[in-house]
Amino acid sequence: MSWLPYIVPAWIFVIGLYGMATSRHLVHLILCLSVTQSATYVLILMIGYRTGATAPVFSDVLSTVRATDPVVQAVTLTDIVVGATVTALLLAFALRIYKTYGTVDPQDLRTMQG
Amino acid sequence: MSELAPLAIAVPLIASAATAALGAFAPRSLLAALNVAASAFATAACAVLARDAALHGSVIHWFGGWRPAHGVSLGIAFVVDPVSGALAAFAGLLTTAAFAYAWTYYEKDDGAFAALLQVFSAALIGFFLTGDLFNMFVFFELMSVSAYALTGFRSEDSSAVQGALSFAVVNSTGAFLVLTGVAIVYARTGALLMAQIAHSLGGAADPLVVVAFALIVAGFLVKASAAPFHFWLSEAHAVAPTPLCVLFSGIMVQAGLYAVARTYWSVFSGALGPHGDGVRDVLVAFGVLTAIVGAVMSYAQRHVKRLLAFSTVSHSGLMLCGIGLLDPRALGGVFVYVLGHGLVKGGLFMGSGILLNRYQTVDVEALRGKLRELPWLAVVLALGALGLAGLPPFGTFVGATLIDDGASRAHLGWLTVILLLTAALTGAAVLNAVGRMTFGWGPPPDPRAVTPGRENPETEAATGLRLVNMAIPTLALIALAIAFGFVPVASTAVAAAGAFADRTVQEAVVLAGGAPVPLPSGPAVPLGDGILHGAIGGALALALAALGLFADRLPIWPLLKRTYETAMRIPHAWHSGIVTDYVTWLTAGAAAFGAALLSLTR
Repeated sequence: MSWLPYIVPAWIFVIGLYGMATSRHLVHLILCLSVTQSATYVLILMIGYRTGATAPVFSDVLSTVRATDPVVQAVTLTDIVVGATVTALLLAFALRIYKTYGTVDPQDLRTMQG
Repeated sequence: MSELAPLAIAVPLIASAATAALGAFAPRSLLAALNVAASAFATAACAVLARDAALHGSVIHWFGGWRPAHGVSLGIAFVVDPVSGALAAFAGLLTTAAFAYAWTYYEKDDGAFAALLQVFSAALIGFFLTGDLFNMFVFFELMSVSAYALTGFRSEDSSAVQGALSFAVVNSTGAFLVLTGVAIVYARTGALLMAQIAHSLGGAADPLVVVAFALIVAGFLVKASAAPFHFWLSEAHAVAPTPLCVLFSGIMVQAGLYAVARTYWSVFSGALGPHGDGVRDVLVAFGVLTAIVGAVMSYAQRHVKRLLAFSTVSHSGLMLCGIGLLDPRALGGVFVYVLGHGLVKGGLFMGSGILLNRYQTVDVEALRGKLRELPWLAVVLALGALGLAGLPPFGTFVGATLIDDGASRAHLGWLTVILLLTAALTGAAVLNAVGRMTFGWGPPPDPRAVTPGRENPETEAATGLRLVNMAIPTLALIALAIAFGFVPVASTAVAAAGAFADRTVQEAVVLAGGAPVPLPSGPAVPLGDGILHGAIGGALALALAALGLFADRLPIWPLLKRTYETAMRIPHAWHSGIVTDYVTWLTAGAAAFGAALLSLTR
């Protein structure tokens, strides 16, 4: 088995973490979180990939036809739903923070110190 | 009987939908009664399941009737053993108490708060009951997302939104670590059901399996607020509505710990068993670090809710040590400790909610001497403090005794001393605050320190009936915490932990349809030493609190104060309040955790 399915998502995951750790804008931070999450989509879809296989929909093909793993597709779909929810909620928080403080720089938001 | 398992989640979810739909026009009292009833039902259902699992063996529910065929499973199952059933019931109990406490909360709210809280509790219960790793992740995310929304619920309060943002960013990143680990496990085994994964993994512990284990556990440790993943917790607790703090500190953090234990024992113990010593060293090291950081930070706080939050960090470290010992006796102790600690901490948070409600602040210095008006509350808080320190008869001491037993069996006697000291320090932190708030003792605050402003009240001022309504659940939880110490639970807990840790039986029952095994009677647990330990812990808590209150009368006070303040600058600097720093800590912590596991399980 190739190592590529592991290296590509690992890279996306780490680049997302780097973006979050160095972010100076909340919207950028939230999008970097989405980037990190997309590493999991890529990883999971790659795991179910089979060379020369069709989509796992058997309504118009024989069930003996070589198909990709349907479980990973269901898992990714669930993951995307979760991602959309989290992103929407976080963007709402960011908007509220901007309206209150007039800034979206995480470095300026340190009322919780200590 | 197994139909009760999905019902324990479906009923709270239906109640949630009904609350959201009727919220705009139904009377408050009807909605409150509906939600208390739904939570009470979930509690009872889980308790019945736990009892059934103890008497007749694990209760298994296959969704859609997708049972395993020829020892291979494609379906999703709830697997209720006595431990998961009992913890789910405890989650239900705390939710019921939170709903009772919040009866008059959010009187102007349209039901969204109760609806979200009900989703949160359903997700918690599902998280405990499920026997499927990906299903566990889904409940984990459902629990997390509803918790973020609840934390930022008072969106007119900007600090609440800010705390919720930190909470959401850090915990979501942790969840992605879990999912990445689950994906790698699936790539290796083609299975998501825990028993099936364990069966397919067999004894193979190559680096890929270790990496998957490290990712899953590191992700769950974020929820368990282990250092250095704990930074979100104090912020979320400081701003979250009080009924929610009860659940966050009482059971959500512990759900993260439960998941660590579940992942190890039900999934990886076959593969990693030969490297158990390495796994134990890493988990105990993170546990000790967490216990110390939490206790020290707790003692340094003057915001009561943050103080309690850091004490939760410390106790989570204590429980992580108990899990890390990889010993069924210590594990049983952890499960007892979860219940004992949850009751005490729930009572303490409810007490702090009464303060917040009455004085619009939970700053200890602003409340100096004020607690004289509510002497009963001062007594409750002081009792809770002693419970945190592990003084018998609080249930915490039974758990601590079992964890100490496990530590001495693993020849880690020094661990006992650290756990005793950190628990005593968190108790001292609360006693110190009570001393200041009741009698006005203690040196005055540094005039240079920033005085926090008033906080937005969460409810209408608690007087008369409202105060009684908030006082009853508070008193009930503290009374239960004391009563729990008298329940002879130790031996059953050890037996239940033994069944929890027995992977081969779980595989046989879940996959091959083997006959469930009733819980054997546990070993006798002498508590004599534990009572002595607990008494020492209580005395230490009193001594440390007295040190904080009266040390200014000592001649060496200026030196003492300077040394303490200089030393505390370092941990204060770590807790910078900047979410990007927390992501950096999380990345570094997860990398260190994985590297340590990889090097020690070679």
